[in-house]
Parts: sequence; structure tokens; C-alpha cells
Amino acid sequence: MLTELWYELGRLRGRIIGWGIGLAVYALMMVLLYPNVVAMDFAAYLEAFPEEMLAFFPGITQIGTPVGYLDTYYYNYMTVIAGILAVGVGAGLLVRQEEAGILDLILAHPVSRSALFWGRYLAMLICLAIVLLAGQVAWMIPPQSADLGLSWQEFTRPALPLLAELALFGSLALLLSMLLPSARMAGGLVGALLVANFLLVGMANLNADLERIVAYTPLHFYQGGFAVEGVNWGWLGGLMGAALVMAVIAWLLFLRRDIRVGGEHEWRLLPRRRRSSQQA
Amino acid sequence: MADNGPAIEISALTKAYGPVQALRGVDLSVERGEVFGFLGPNGAGKTTTIRCMLDLIRPQSGSIRVLGLDPQAQPVAVQARVGYLPGELNLDPNLRVRQVLRYLAALRGNRVNWGHVAELSQRLQLDLEMPVKNLSKGNKQKVGVIQALMARPELLLLDEPTSGLDPLMQQEVYRLLHEAQDGGATVFFSSHVISEVEALASRVAIIRRGRIVETVEPKQLMRMTSRRLRLRFTRPAEAGSLSEIPGVSQFAQPDPLEATLLVEGAMDRLIVALAGLPIADLQTERPSLEELFLTYYRDAEEVA
Repeated sequence: MLTELWYELGRLRGRIIGWGIGLAVYALMMVLLYPNVVAMDFAAYLEAFPEEMLAFFPGITQIGTPVGYLDTYYYNYMTVIAGILAVGVGAGLLVRQEEAGILDLILAHPVSRSALFWGRYLAMLICLAIVLLAGQVAWMIPPQSADLGLSWQEFTRPALPLLAELALFGSLALLLSMLLPSARMAGGLVGALLVANFLLVGMANLNADLERIVAYTPLHFYQGGFAVEGVNWGWLGGLMGAALVMAVIAWLLFLRRDIRVGGEHEWRLLPRRRRSSQQA
Repeated sequence: MADNGPAIEISALTKAYGPVQALRGVDLSVERGEVFGFLGPNGAGKTTTIRCMLDLIRPQSGSIRVLGLDPQAQPVAVQARVGYLPGELNLDPNLRVRQVLRYLAALRGNRVNWGHVAELSQRLQLDLEMPVKNLSKGNKQKVGVIQALMARPELLLLDEPTSGLDPLMQQEVYRLLHEAQDGGATVFFSSHVISEVEALASRVAIIRRGRIVETVEPKQLMRMTSRRLRLRFTRPAEAGSLSEIPGVSQFAQPDPLEATLLVEGAMDRLIVALAGLPIADLQTERPSLEELFLTYYRDAEEVA
């Protein structure tokens, strides 16, 4: 499993560096801007904001506070931004190499499918954690971060629910990649679900009827920047548990899976009817 | 099963991909230390059979024993003792050849002698520092051969091992496989090239449409295959008498400077007859595997 873990982390190296630097630079900019935002009279601006906009950014009414600032400018939509990474990695974790015909040779070596699966799954979680950590460090390092008046524990808390959400959507993408004909289709579908969930949560703040639906979606249990005040461990455990359940189902499917190679059969949900029946 | 039993034993193996029946009851037995050819045209079921032996795909029914083990029950134990070369070799394009081999060796618990890897790469003239994405098809195939041989496995499962290699490299691979056999390994390889099977195998199973049609020795196979001869003469010649030589058929002489014919079996009497003709050029070619099947196995299949 360790061999697979290191190999997969090596494969993800480019994404870890790219996304890590991207989030760190963005977080750094936000820290440096904080004193200016606090100095502004935001109450007047907020009155001019449409109700729909406020609904999508619940922390914006407290933007002058560290919690509101962190939520509005970082954690609120980071599920969607970093979610792109999670979904891409999850969907391609095994199936992209299968589609490329590389998995065939790897699995012909003495490595169990379980070791391969869990080694790579662990690599996905580590990749997501490192990228989030890069953003966290950027929030905490510059002298201006002292203006936020948060301890390192308070800075770190919101990253935990974010990591749990990313793990959940990454696991869902992995699961669907085992069921759908291609990694691209699985990634596209989960990406669409993620964006739809984000929009639904915002709209539910405007329409109480939607609240009942949103209550069953993953982002309902996302605390965003408000986790600074304390992590809801029940929600966090639920999200991680759901991610693990999806991973276990994906693992069971992988154990039973025929490893495909090009030309063996087609990438479609339903087999096409054929009159000829010769194929190798 | 005892450890000195057959290297491969397959019985009534079937495999379908949805409505497509790829294997229809394959029966096969390969002895230890044997070089066994698996001959069949494209789409006959060669790759599917090999991939079932490695638990990459699961058959619908039938039984497989590889080195006395059931690959479905003990896949890792089987894979630890087998070297595999896929028919369509694909490697991680972001790595260098050495990194690919290091990774695959790590999957084998690093039980690989790097001196042996260096020797293999030297004999196959492969630069281990080349990025995989820059490799030609032939060089990629060399990586495949090296990774299959580098751990000195007890059994080699090779799906078209010389595909994409030039004739000199093909000969080198044949030598490597014979050396592996001398070292006690069993070699099971698939091919759709009759001459390759002739050069390597001590026995050959012929598969077509998911069934083993026959298991023969290569010389038996060669006797079954006729040669097509194309003759060109230096001056107009009457070559009709060639058609009376035993084994010669399909004689045709469209013009006085050219003739074609098909000959089966020994060619000595034909060569004696040709000595009396003003030959400018003589070309021989073996018929394709498909032609062989059409000639010998069509009737058997129709009965089946």
C-alpha cells in the first residue's frame, strides 16, 4: 500500500504544487487586505446589496469580524473552488489509468486490489490536506494576520469541515467512476452536483421551502468560516463517515471489476445490440 | 495441486463481455519449462485468456490453475511468480523508463537484480533515462519485455512479445526467451504470426472464435501451411509441367515471363524442376493465419 501511496502522491505532485500555491497566494492577498476592509464602513455597502447576494454569503453581514471575513472571502465558496480538485482527483484515481491502459500492467504485478485502492485513496486525502494546509499557512504567516486576532487553532478549525466536504465529493466522484462508463462523465456529474448544492444552499436562504431539500445535502452540514467559533463534530463525523461509506462501496466495486483495456468493449452504459459475437 | 503439475491448466473457460462471447470453453494445458505458443487471428480470444490467468478479468465459468494456484482465489500469489507483457502496452507518460521499472520492481517488493535490468536494457539497446512520452512503439515494447523478465519469474505470459520490434530485436527477444526457458521458466506467448511460433514454441495451441481448435507441434503446423511461389523468367518459358509435381496446386502462368503456384510439403522435387527453367527471380511467401484457418479449420468449425 505504501508503494501505491508514494506513486500516487508523485502523480499528484503537479496538482498539489499548483493548487497549493494558488490557494496560498489567494489567502495571502486576503490577509493583507483585511485591515483595509475593517477600516471601511461596510454597513452602508451592505444596505445597497441585493437580498439574493446576501443569501449566498451568510458571513457578509459580519464581514468586519474575523469570522465573517474568513467565511465570506475564503471558506464560503472554497468548497466549490477546491471541490474542482477533489472531484478531478477522485474521478481519475483509478479509472483514468484504466482508460489509458496503464492499470492493466500495474495490476498484473503482485499488488492486491485492496492495497492499490486504499493506497491511492489515502494519497487523495493527503493531497487535499496538503493543498488546504498551504492556504492555512498563508493565512497565519504574515504579520497582518495578527489583526484578525485568532489563535492557530481557530485558524485551523474551518479547514476540517472543508476537508471533510472535499473528501465526500472526491469519494462520490470515485464511486461514480466505478459505475459510469468514463472518469470524465463521473467527474462532470459530481462537479455539477457540487455547484447545484452550493446554489441550492444559497437559494434556501431566500425560499424556506427549499430548506427541507437542502437539509439532505452535504453542504447543509458545512460550517464554513463559522467553524472558527467551534467545530460541529457531529456534522464533521457524519461527513467523514459518508465519505468513508462511499469509498468502501467503490472499493467493493473495484474488487469485482473487470479491468478494461482499449478495444475490449465500449464505453457506454448500455451495450449496443450486435449481430456478430466475436471479440477478444 | 502439486508444485510439479502443469504450469497452466485451463478447463472449459468461458468469458463474455455483455452480449459478446469472447471465450466459449477454452481447454489448455502447458507443462513446466515449456515454450508454448498461443496462435490465433485478431479477436480470437488470446488476450482474454491471458488476462483471465492474471485475474485482471473474471471468467463466467470454467477453471484456471496457474503454477498450481487459482488466480481468482490467490491473485497476488500468482502474480508474484508471473511476468506479464500486455498486448497493448501503456506506460505512465510522466515517468522515465528507469522510474517505471523502479515502480514495477517496488510492486514486487524490490526483488529485482538491477544488474540484470542493466544487462537486459543493453541487449535490447534501450536507454533507461528516456522519458516514456518520447519512446517509439518499438522502444516501449522493449520496456515491456524488460519489466516482464527482470524479476526472473517462473512463468512468462507474453501477449505478442515482438510486436513493433525490428527483426534484429525480435531475434534478441527470442534469445532472451530461450535463455529464460533454459533457466527453468515456462513461456506462454500469444501471436498471430506463424513464423514467430515456429521460431520459439515447442507446442502451439490454435484458438479461433473463443475455442481451441487444435494443439500441435510447430513442425506439424508448418507442414499444414503451404507456400505461395512467384516466378519470373529471363526469357519466355513454358512452365506448365510444374503443375504435375506432387504438392503443387493453383498453378497459373498469365504471361510467358511469369508464373505463380502453391506448394505444400517438401519443396525438393519442385526445386529440381525449377533448375531446368530460366529463373530470373523467385519469391516465396507463407499464407496468412486467416488463410490457414480457412484452409484447415473451416470444416471443423462448421461441424462444431
